[in-house]
Amino acid sequence: MALTRRQFLKWAGATGVGAVVFNGCSVPDEEIRVQSPLELPEDLVTGRDNYYATVSPADGEGLLVRVMEGRAKKVEGNPDYPVNAGKHGVRTEGLLQALYHPDRVKQPLTRIAPKVGPFRRMGWPEGLDALKATLEAAEPGSALIVTPPLRGAVAGVVRSFANAYGARVAAFEPLDQAPLRRAIADVFGQQALPDFDISRANYILSFGADFLGTWVAPTRFMRGYGEFRQGRRERGRLVQVETRMSPTAAVADEWVYVNPGTEGHLAMAMAYVIIEEGVPSGGTDRAYTGGGGLGQIADYRPGAVAGAVGLPAERIVELARAFADPSHAPALAIGGGSAGAYSNGAANLRAIYALNHLVGAANRPGGVVYNPAPEGEQVKALSLREWKEELARMRSGETKVALIKDANLLYGLPAELDAAGALRNVETVVSFSAFVDETAAAADTILPGHTPLEEWGSDAPNPGPGYRTVGYQQPVVRRFRDTMAFGDVLLQVGAQLGLEGLPGATMREVVRAEARASHETGRGSVRAPTFEEFWKRALERGGWWDTSVVARSTGPVRQVARSVAAPAFSGDARRYPFHLVPFEANALGAGQLAHVPWLQSMPDPMTTVAWSSWVELNPQTAKRMDLAQQDVVLVEAANGRFIRVPVYLNPATPPDVAAVPFGQGHTQFTSFAAGRGANPFDILAPSEERDTGALAWAGTRVRVTKTNRRAKLPSLEGPDPAVQLDDQPIIYIQRPNGGNGAAH
Amino acid sequence: MVTTPDLDRDLNKRPPARSWGMVVDLDRCTGCQACVIACNAENYIPINEESHYHEGRVMSWIRVERYWEGEFPNVKARFIPLMCQHCENAPCEPVCPVYATYHNNEGLNVQVYNRCVGTRYCANNCPYHARSFNYWEPVWPEDLRHQLNPDVTVRSRGVMEKCTMCVQRIRRATRGRDNVPDGEFAPACVQACPTQTLTFGDLNDHSSRVYELSHDERNYTVLKSLGTAPNVTYLKKVED
Repeated sequence: MALTRRQFLKWAGATGVGAVVFNGCSVPDEEIRVQSPLELPEDLVTGRDNYYATVSPADGEGLLVRVMEGRAKKVEGNPDYPVNAGKHGVRTEGLLQALYHPDRVKQPLTRIAPKVGPFRRMGWPEGLDALKATLEAAEPGSALIVTPPLRGAVAGVVRSFANAYGARVAAFEPLDQAPLRRAIADVFGQQALPDFDISRANYILSFGADFLGTWVAPTRFMRGYGEFRQGRRERGRLVQVETRMSPTAAVADEWVYVNPGTEGHLAMAMAYVIIEEGVPSGGTDRAYTGGGGLGQIADYRPGAVAGAVGLPAERIVELARAFADPSHAPALAIGGGSAGAYSNGAANLRAIYALNHLVGAANRPGGVVYNPAPEGEQVKALSLREWKEELARMRSGETKVALIKDANLLYGLPAELDAAGALRNVETVVSFSAFVDETAAAADTILPGHTPLEEWGSDAPNPGPGYRTVGYQQPVVRRFRDTMAFGDVLLQVGAQLGLEGLPGATMREVVRAEARASHETGRGSVRAPTFEEFWKRALERGGWWDTSVVARSTGPVRQVARSVAAPAFSGDARRYPFHLVPFEANALGAGQLAHVPWLQSMPDPMTTVAWSSWVELNPQTAKRMDLAQQDVVLVEAANGRFIRVPVYLNPATPPDVAAVPFGQGHTQFTSFAAGRGANPFDILAPSEERDTGALAWAGTRVRVTKTNRRAKLPSLEGPDPAVQLDDQPIIYIQRPNGGNGAAH
Repeated sequence: MVTTPDLDRDLNKRPPARSWGMVVDLDRCTGCQACVIACNAENYIPINEESHYHEGRVMSWIRVERYWEGEFPNVKARFIPLMCQHCENAPCEPVCPVYATYHNNEGLNVQVYNRCVGTRYCANNCPYHARSFNYWEPVWPEDLRHQLNPDVTVRSRGVMEKCTMCVQRIRRATRGRDNVPDGEFAPACVQACPTQTLTFGDLNDHSSRVYELSHDERNYTVLKSLGTAPNVTYLKKVED
């Protein structure tokens, strides 16, 4: 039979279609052929894993750590723990790399000669004997114990050791939260930081607090934020007042820029409008007027402060009306971060938090939820003012022995204070850090401590979830290096010195004694007939919490926000035209996590830069200064100190702001941190917040000078800030007016 | 024809009709990067050194991109987490000359590392830039090797890698079980995400949360015009 070309094509087409149709009725041969015949590790479930619950005292999160064959493999949030409910932040996973860090101090070290020369290795018996001899020889009043702020069992151990021996205790927190604590105490009468019921709030007005990034308890707040946005029928509305666009400002419905240090003025003016137009039902104006009427805050009419704040009066009225609008209830006001870091920081925060009284959001669902006062000892940070006094004692030789645990004074105090010079005058400096940071490098002896996954402890999270919560920290693996827990060192040496009043012989004993008190209440998340059973189950769950122990309001509202002083800045505005807005880095914090390689390699959310420092400048301002992306500039303060950083042209940076991240600029602190970027603490003026003496870290003015150098910024987005392509957008926006498309 | 006992077993037994997928709600995302570091830890992505950023060779199975819009004071920054979209019509699959990447019967785009010969055709063809190539032999400081997850394949130089939706977790949870309750397990990124931006589950289970969300009125898929039919659905950011 003759086959024409047309017939051939018809036949071929029909069989082709048939093949496709019938092939679709069974497992495709293609799939059989390409399935890998090999079992990959993903398919072979090997080994047995165990999960141990613990807590991370640094950020108050409850954790589950996966352990296989004695090695920690993964850190996850503990779903049972009330603070973070199974979630964790970007920093938490760094605990693994701290544990197995190649640059950990592997055993006790001491100088070959006092104050000079390299370190030599020694054993723990020699190290502990030397510490005991030092403390025996010193006059008790001349000893100083320096730590970060402490809670839980280790705080009790430090306090009892210091009391029994006669040493002073000084906690160091680079970005001191004293103005926040003072404002919370003044406005709400509370000693513990409150929880913010973000998930049930309908309207959030936040001043300066990057609460979805770095501020106080971001994991807990982010969990609430997800629900605030999409977890219920009504979507919440977020307004962020801030001097830099932080991640919180970026996801806010409105970002409001005000002149630095005037956040309190804006809050006062908003209060004026709300009181004038009628305080919403359930609210009170006593925090502003003391019952004396609007005249008490007459100086804060919107028209009177608009110029200072940098917003039109109408805009202030609009913000006030939106906050007090009954349809927005419950509304919540939050303040912190840079808003509390000026000379008037505490007053700013008082004016801000008092807004909650105006709308009846104090100790209410969807508002500020008080926490019960934490039980047990706490070691709170000294203010900058107090640190200046401590440094003077070091310089004068009054402080002869300094025991320093994880408090990096030489990095985090303004360089102008010359903490390094002061520490050189201390006869004996003993560091208990697991890593050689700048301060440990200046020590005479290093008795290396455990990392958090190796030690016993407890934590009373601050802020807690609104009720009494205790987290138990347990070693999830055996110690990886020849280290010893700081608390155990104090207990052991204290016992050898014959000190009385120590809470136990080991940290484990101390934690068990704490747990016994919880067991004896007969209440809470874990109840058991015997203590041993309680102890086992409480460790399995990661802690114990009692929802029946809550805080109550403390009497009538006092007048705490009658006035806010104008902010004072270091540096003349004409010679130093930029406000230096330093900010806590998303992953590295204020520098305490710069040694963790994962965290170094995390791109900053706003700029996508990793491993480095930069200064964010407004593109138009930079153009006027003939500055381009990645030009290296000098950022110089009035004290003559400067840092060299490359420029990141940030379209969200206000024209008179130079924003620099904290975190980098280490000279020590492992091979992953040393020699990278610049440290803003090097140029900060050591100016104080008026009420608390805390470091006013946002109160420095700078000038920016071009150099003839350029430096390539290591960033995810490449050399130029990324914008969406018009023809291929990937982020779509839904707008209520029917707009439902790409973000253009 | 491959005739290993495992494959015979799988073919004789009807494979579970699962289709693993994810929903990313952009209205919840704050760009915090918790998903990124959780993925790094679970799948031991090599440490992205500074030089890798300079060379544009950062390895990341999930990344959070940030896009600027406008200039101060009328400016917005928007975040979007991006990972392998596990496309039904995956552009990366047909171009692989050695079947190192293929679609399995659970809706996953799978990478077989020991087949990969490093042509990088798949990465060239992926419109989402979701694939990372091992330009170097991954080097971990000796001590840090203790943290590596034994469930995950060691990748070597010259091999392509990308998001697996934590297939090792899927295998652990589903081995020998036909019915796994929705939400019982999740990839590392989903588990960590504090705002619950990410939701994971079986798209073929119509009672699952991921199915419900993938049919939300805000749903869209990235670069839909390319017809890749991703298993990852995005929910639009909301603005008023």
